[in-house]
Amino acid sequence: MKDILRVKNLNKSYKNFSLTDVSFSLSEGCITGFIGINGAGKTTTLRTILNLAKKGSGNIQFFGLDMGKNEQQIKNRIGVVLDDGCFYEELSMAEMKSILASAYTDWSEQDFKHYMDMFSLDPKRKINTLSKGMKMKYALTLALSHNAELLIMDEPTSGLDPLSRSQLLNVLNDYMENGGKGVLFSTHITSDLDKIADMLIMIHNGRIVFQEEKDFLLDNYRIIKGDKKLLTENIRQLFLNITETAFGFTGVTRHAARVQSYLPDAITERPTIEDIMLANLGGCGK
Amino acid sequence: MMLWYLLKKDILIIKKYVLIMLAAAVLIPPFMLWRVPEYAGILGFMLSVIFCVLILLQYISLKEYQFPKAASLLCAATFSRKMMVLSLYIFCIAVYVVCCTIYTIEALIISGLDTMNAAMFFLMFLVTSVLISIYLPIQYKLGYEKTKFAFTVVIIASPFLLPQLMKMEIFNLNFLSEFSPILICGSVLLLSCMLLAVSAALSIKFYNRTDLA
Repeated sequence: MKDILRVKNLNKSYKNFSLTDVSFSLSEGCITGFIGINGAGKTTTLRTILNLAKKGSGNIQFFGLDMGKNEQQIKNRIGVVLDDGCFYEELSMAEMKSILASAYTDWSEQDFKHYMDMFSLDPKRKINTLSKGMKMKYALTLALSHNAELLIMDEPTSGLDPLSRSQLLNVLNDYMENGGKGVLFSTHITSDLDKIADMLIMIHNGRIVFQEEKDFLLDNYRIIKGDKKLLTENIRQLFLNITETAFGFTGVTRHAARVQSYLPDAITERPTIEDIMLANLGGCGK
Repeated sequence: MMLWYLLKKDILIIKKYVLIMLAAAVLIPPFMLWRVPEYAGILGFMLSVIFCVLILLQYISLKEYQFPKAASLLCAATFSRKMMVLSLYIFCIAVYVVCCTIYTIEALIISGLDTMNAAMFFLMFLVTSVLISIYLPIQYKLGYEKTKFAFTVVIIASPFLLPQLMKMEIFNLNFLSEFSPILICGSVLLLSCMLLAVSAALSIKFYNRTDLA
């Protein structure tokens, strides 16, 4: 599969935070979840690759084109949903659309009407009267109405009720089925990614912790529960993190077979993405 | 075309105030004729231009300041930062042209209001160019809040300062009659364009360095 986004050694420094040698790639046909806790660097990374924040150094390529040299051409092919809407809120949705539509050569009025109807949004309504969920749906409508080949979304499900989140995830699935080439979806609500993501990238403290296929991660990580008295130093080193209570221990490991050979009576469970994310926060790639 | 759509955006986000300032542009010259008839012509026109250009610019900046992430969304689309800056300069020039049109019509209708020749319009364009050439780069460099304070002082002071300046006869432009009007207009226009070009280049440079919200 071709890479539709390739980021190599991206660096960006602020006073109290920096992205350090961020490298990852997005394959065509994949929904990629970009995970990490608040302040891990998800939004900074997305804003930097979109040139909303100036990079310190590094190379960014979309669709094989260098971002520095082909910015307008690339942005014409990308749909962007930024956190919290990012609109002139005193305008009506129709007015905001009239501004943004003019930016794209392939704007589809038909698609816009389709999504506005699907989300029951009235174009005459002022944006500042919309709920957070409605703003997100409107942002998604704008992002999907110009035949974008890649959707980049920053925390789109944050603060949404379960029904709105479910609607949004369904729309993303439809988008991919209808020939969308990729989705990059930052979130700290990992349960959404359990449902739709193909690939996961985790960032922490401005550094990429891993980039793996979701199924590979779920197959390779295991939660092990057992008697803490049996934990030796050698066994402990096989875990990314261990939580101990009076009754025993719970740990996440990438070496389930080896742990089981040492602790045959331990209970093994399949982790969620959240378990894997939290385990990696404990050791950050141990 | 991009510039046209960004200009439309600027007008849309301050549409409530555009009508108010249009009314100000209409009312200031006759008001000056009523209160200070000796300075009604050029001074009235100058005030209407300064008020309209600076206040509308401030309203646009205020809206951008209130909704800082909207500029991010536009830049995440295909609008370049360069175009976003240039659209503001074009907006100011458009406001100036509207003020010229309003004043010309008023001078034809209202007796006592001096009609202005082309050279005066070009000179006023130079004054407008100087104002926005200073204002916009400062705003892109320092941000809305700091710039607003400085220019609010200038706007408030202008009705008091300008008559004093007129009394000092620094606005005595009679010497210009010695030169060919075409030469004057051409030189002033060239100077204005150069100022605007340098200022726009600076503003673009400052805005390009800015991390958007």
